[in-house]
Amino acid sequence: MSKPEMRKKLASLSFTEKIKILEKLRDRSRAIAASRTRSVSPEATASQENSKQPE
Amino acid sequence: MKRTFEMINRMQADGVISQYAIGGAVGATFYLEPSATLDVDIFVTLPVASGSSLLSLTPIYEYLTARGCRVEGEYIVIADWPVQFLPPIDSLEQEAVAEAVQTEVEGLNTWVMRAEHLVAIALRTGRAKDYARILQFLEQNAVDRKKLNQVLNRHALIPKWKRFETKYLRETNE
Repeated sequence: MSKPEMRKKLASLSFTEKIKILEKLRDRSRAIAASRTRSVSPEATASQENSKQPE
Repeated sequence: MKRTFEMINRMQADGVISQYAIGGAVGATFYLEPSATLDVDIFVTLPVASGSSLLSLTPIYEYLTARGCRVEGEYIVIADWPVQFLPPIDSLEQEAVAEAVQTEVEGLNTWVMRAEHLVAIALRTGRAKDYARILQFLEQNAVDRKKLNQVLNRHALIPKWKRFETKYLRETNE
C-alpha cells in the first residue's frame, strides 16, 4: 500500500479507532523518552556537570 | 482518553462549563490520520457568574482536583492525559466552539471543532507545526475550501491566508 493510500485509510477510521491509535502513539513516545532518560546515567550527568568551566 | 472525555462531560452536566470543543492535534485527528500528541486542547465556554464579567478557570481546576486530577503547569491531568482548557479569546474561537460537530468516542458524546475552524485557528496561531497541519488538511481534501474562505473572510484572515498560499502553496498552484 502506498503512503498516500495508507494516510487515506487511516483518515477514514472512526474517531474511536483514531483515539486508540493516539493513545498507542502517546505510550510509544513516553517509552522512548523514558529509555532516553535511563540511558543517561547519574555518573555521566555528574561527569558532565564537573567538566563545566566556572564562569 | 474516553475517561478524559467522561470527566469533561460530567463537568459540563454539573454546570461547571457550558459548551466545549476539542481543538488542536486531537481535534485535527477527527479529520486526518492520527499524529502523535501529548496533550488535549479543550476550548470551553464558561458560565459567567452574576455580577462579574471576569472569566476564571478556577471552578474547573477546583472541580477536577477534587476528583483526583492533578495540575501540571498550564495543564490539568485527567485520566492520564494532560488537558489544557482554553476559554475562547476572540470571535473566531467563539464561533468554533458554537459550531462544533457532535461525535462519539466509544459511545460517548463529544464535540470537535469543524475542519474550517481548526485550519483558521492554526493559520492565526502560525507556528511551523500549525502550517504543517494546514497542509495536511489541504492535501487530504479534509476541508471545504468555500466554507474555509467564508470563515477566513469573517475573521479578517484573508491577508494571512494569501501570505500562507504564497509561501507554501505556490509550487502546487504553478
